[in-house]
Amino acid sequence: MSTPMTSPAVQAEGVWKVFNEGQPNEVTALADLTLDVAYGEFVALIGPSGCGKSTLLRVIADLTHATKGTMQVAGMSAAEAREQQRYGMAFQQAALFDWRTVRRNVELPLELQGVSKQDRSKRAMELLEMVQLADFADHRPWELSGGMQQRVAIARSLAVDPPLLLMDEPFGALDEMTRERMQNELLRIRKETGKSIVFVTHSIPEAVYLSDRVVVMSPRPGRITDIVPVNLGDRNEDTREDERFFEAVTAVREALRGNRGLANSDMRARIGEV
Amino acid sequence: MSHRLRLIWPPVLVALVFLGLWEGLVAVNDIKPYLLPAPSLIVTNLSDNFSGVLDAALYTAYTALLGLMIGLLVGTAIALIASRLMVVNKLATPLAAGLAAVPIIALTPILNNMFDITSRTPRVLVTVIIVFFPIFVNVTRGLLQVQPAQLELMRSLNASPSRVARLVRIPNAIPFFLTGMKIAAPLSVIAALVAEYFGGPQQGLGSRIASSAANTAYGRAWAYVVAAIAVGLLFYLATLALERLATPWTGRARSV
Amino acid sequence: MGWALGGVLLVVLMWEMVKVVGSVIPLPFDSGDQAMPHVWTMIQGASQPEVRGSDTTVFQAVVSATLRSLMLAMGGFIVGVSIGLLLAVIMQRFSFAERGLLPFVIASQTVPLIALAPLIVGIGNRVSIGPIQWNTTYSVMFIASYLAFFPLSVGALRGLQAPTATHLELMRSYAATPRQTLRKLRFPASVPFLVPALKVSAAAAVVGTVVAEISTGVRGGIGRLIIEYAREMTASPAKVYVAVFGAIAVGLLAAALVTALDMALTRNLPKEHSA
Repeated sequence: MSTPMTSPAVQAEGVWKVFNEGQPNEVTALADLTLDVAYGEFVALIGPSGCGKSTLLRVIADLTHATKGTMQVAGMSAAEAREQQRYGMAFQQAALFDWRTVRRNVELPLELQGVSKQDRSKRAMELLEMVQLADFADHRPWELSGGMQQRVAIARSLAVDPPLLLMDEPFGALDEMTRERMQNELLRIRKETGKSIVFVTHSIPEAVYLSDRVVVMSPRPGRITDIVPVNLGDRNEDTREDERFFEAVTAVREALRGNRGLANSDMRARIGEV
Repeated sequence: MSHRLRLIWPPVLVALVFLGLWEGLVAVNDIKPYLLPAPSLIVTNLSDNFSGVLDAALYTAYTALLGLMIGLLVGTAIALIASRLMVVNKLATPLAAGLAAVPIIALTPILNNMFDITSRTPRVLVTVIIVFFPIFVNVTRGLLQVQPAQLELMRSLNASPSRVARLVRIPNAIPFFLTGMKIAAPLSVIAALVAEYFGGPQQGLGSRIASSAANTAYGRAWAYVVAAIAVGLLFYLATLALERLATPWTGRARSV
Repeated sequence: MGWALGGVLLVVLMWEMVKVVGSVIPLPFDSGDQAMPHVWTMIQGASQPEVRGSDTTVFQAVVSATLRSLMLAMGGFIVGVSIGLLLAVIMQRFSFAERGLLPFVIASQTVPLIALAPLIVGIGNRVSIGPIQWNTTYSVMFIASYLAFFPLSVGALRGLQAPTATHLELMRSYAATPRQTLRKLRFPASVPFLVPALKVSAAAAVVGTVVAEISTGVRGGIGRLIIEYAREMTASPAKVYVAVFGAIAVGLLAAALVTALDMALTRNLPKEHSA
């Protein structure tokens, strides 16, 4: 199901998104946005409310269309990428179906693609093993805690084995301890599968802990104001107390305040170039 | 296209198409009026007998209105008591649920016997009973389904139960009351109409429909039916207007 | 359950109390044994023969009429529910249909179809669809289904529109067709809304059936019995009450059937699920 990729996972070029164009309540959610996400990279999108990070994610997912500009996902247009299921998505609400068991929830994307019952059941169990919830396969979503539900949602997003994962504050509704555990889970899954991930978050430590690059955005109009590279290597339990971690967090915080200086609306940053 | 226009033209279109097809069907198949009169025939009948139809409509509307008002009062009063005294609530709820499934109109012959059949009273009573239940169920729900956080707040402010009722429960119940009224208003018209089938004074729309049908004056019967629909719609729209006034913050999309 | 019985007892007590009071103080209505028979008289009346010399007791006659009316009501219920569901699906899928049809769906309830019953019977009896000759029974079922379709249509529409934006985005991210979204998301999500709507529909179907029977005089149902026994109210006042209780029973039985259906539908849902 997945094909090896060398082209960028996401290539956004001059993307604009304007809501209510021409009307008094017109809003420019994204202005001339350009960003590349390399294959296998973990990129975090962070910024205050209204900066367009969720809108950008939805343009990548073809859940909404750009007013202007191009969006290439996995080497094809965003619409094609959605048709061919080249990405998996996770939201802040797990959005599991209460009337299905955990296993059947994970099977949903496969069901829609017409995969046979046997194959999907097998694949669902593999994924549940990966998130360590195999024992709960026949439970109902409401019997699981918030963190467990999100793990099921993540397992579901991996069902069709897409090269790209899009995540919109998936840990936002969880408590701090569960959050940190889930972050480690996510990194472990990423290591095992090598997926590219675009991750929207409100939390600076989370952005720094998870990603290779933190893309800082600001509102009115929504644009990228800075990109902070993070070179922390393999994360472990000491990383959060490492001095370099705090430096990176501070750098992102300063960037959010607009103090890192590079408030440029046309930034093209590839690995190694910054 | 303005928002209001966008909402209005589809139903208007559907109505015009429906009426057009009806008229066409009758004309093409030469359907006799006693089977299905054409819209044009009904309109003619209406305008010919307009004052008679109007009098009958007013008579039935008054019965319905009386029943509705009394039913609203009684339903709300008992709901208030039920919200305070759990005993009343526990007794009344299964009764209300059971009776909601019951064809109350079937009580009319009995009420006609108990009360003076030559007066409006039995019909108003039936209407009251029918109106009582949607009101009671909805208002009770509104009085009791208050956010726990709001009740905790009142408790922390050391508010007495009657204060809580006045400041929290009753305002909370207003939308529920209006929902109940939206159900009860057209229901009161139907109740008043059907109650007229069981004998008693013959000035109302229900009696006229029945007698016209019996005399095979179907065109006239349908004219009275149109008037009955108009009265029902009027009651419903009046309720909607009341809702807009009382709770202007209600979304327009789903006001059913 | 205990409270329900308590409520019934309370009503019985109040009935007898009113009679006692009425025998002493003049009340604005007739509380004599003609108009308001004692409760035990009613029970007695049930066991008397229906017609002098007949084998069937009042009770038996009422029971068989109750069952017949129940069958008609359920028939009307099924038809009404099917049409209601179909309408809801169409209205959800095509917003033009929702804007064009929903006002009429709502307005349809102001049409006093029950009042039109004699007209419908009159028209219906002259119509035949193919080999099937329309008769009054069909008219009664038609009226029942007309009353049943509205609550279901509205409830089903609300249910089909219930899924959150996140759920809908999820399905869109799977490139799911509208039909797939309907089958896999909207229908299951609408069950909590269907449950109360089914109850109201069943009640409406029962009311439609009994009242249509009353105003059309069709044989076999409980409505007809009510009219017949009402005419004999001076001679044997208890009979009409037994018939009215039969009508009440139709409603309660229908409610019980629908509750069983509801329990089957919500078997796999958490218990808090009731819209």
